[in-house]
Amino acid sequence: MTAPDPDRLNDLGKRLDELQTRQAAGSKRPPPNQSGIAFRFATELVAALIVGGGLGWGIDWLFGHFGFHTSPAFLILFFVLGAAAGIRNVMRAAHEINAEIASKRSDKENGS
Amino acid sequence: MNLNPMEQFAIKPIIPLNIGGYDVSFTNQSLLMVIVVAAAALFLTLAVKPGRLVPTRGQSMAEMSYEFVANMIHSATGEDGLKFFPFVFTLFMFVLFCNFFGLIPGSFTVTSQIAVTFALAALVILMVVVVGFAKHGIGFLKLFVPHAPLPLLFLLVPIELISFLTRPISLSVRLFANMLAGHTMLQVFAGFVIALGGAGGILSVLSIAPMLLIVAIMLLEFLVAFLQAYVFAILTCIYLNEALHLHDHH
Repeated sequence: MTAPDPDRLNDLGKRLDELQTRQAAGSKRPPPNQSGIAFRFATELVAALIVGGGLGWGIDWLFGHFGFHTSPAFLILFFVLGAAAGIRNVMRAAHEINAEIASKRSDKENGS
Repeated sequence: MNLNPMEQFAIKPIIPLNIGGYDVSFTNQSLLMVIVVAAAALFLTLAVKPGRLVPTRGQSMAEMSYEFVANMIHSATGEDGLKFFPFVFTLFMFVLFCNFFGLIPGSFTVTSQIAVTFALAALVILMVVVVGFAKHGIGFLKLFVPHAPLPLLFLLVPIELISFLTRPISLSVRLFANMLAGHTMLQVFAGFVIALGGAGGILSVLSIAPMLLIVAIMLLEFLVAFLQAYVFAILTCIYLNEALHLHDHH
């Protein structure tokens, strides 16, 4: 056996590095499909309404327990706040999806 | 014959247990979870055992899942998020294996139970809160205070608070609803096949149509099983990122 040629070894190392970066760029994430996005928005909205309404109902119940009859004032207030939070969630989700698509596009441009 | 499409989600006790008035029976759900954890642990340990430079098929699958999750954490949270690799990887593999084992005919889908998915989501959010307070102390509460003039904050802080509290719900409902819907759909179409096949005459021939549809839905379910595990893991990363870096991603 002869000693390996350092030039050839360096060359091989360089080619391996190139291949690895190309693969890392290509096979990263599954595409965000349309129904998945729609479903995500729907759950974000509905979940916020449930949490908002639930919180309001809980506060009303608590006050009712101590003899203040606020019901249904807090339920209404927190339901509206919940709706606002839902829209905030959807905006944030859309932001994330946009960032994901943008990063994928730049990956593709760099990769090929 | 049972054609009820919801029958498959029924929890049946295998070893009835009752401790202190609570029903803690070992059910078909517990059995599946034990199988899932054992299968995931066995797969990951046995597959990398040969430790070859040129991997076998199994080893390459294990290595790919490792790299996939590591890349996901790195791109979502940056370098310091990699500390949470064991947590996110365990979650991802557990959900993935639960989803795939649920696709085996006659088995049970653990992730179609809201109790399971909500427990997982609550764990994620608790983790986020603990990490946030550990890293930023009381400053973590700044997460709920957006940059806005003071009078608006009275409105915006409750909204941000509610928005944060929806996370465990939307995280768990998404996984649970996807699995529930897919498996119910499969069973409903399977019911069509049986009903048409038993009808006799020309209708029996028609039963091939829902049969083909089941094949298509089954393929879709494999995609959904993977995609939902991925979504669960990536959202965990995104929430961790917010706890680690607060507002500076905006």
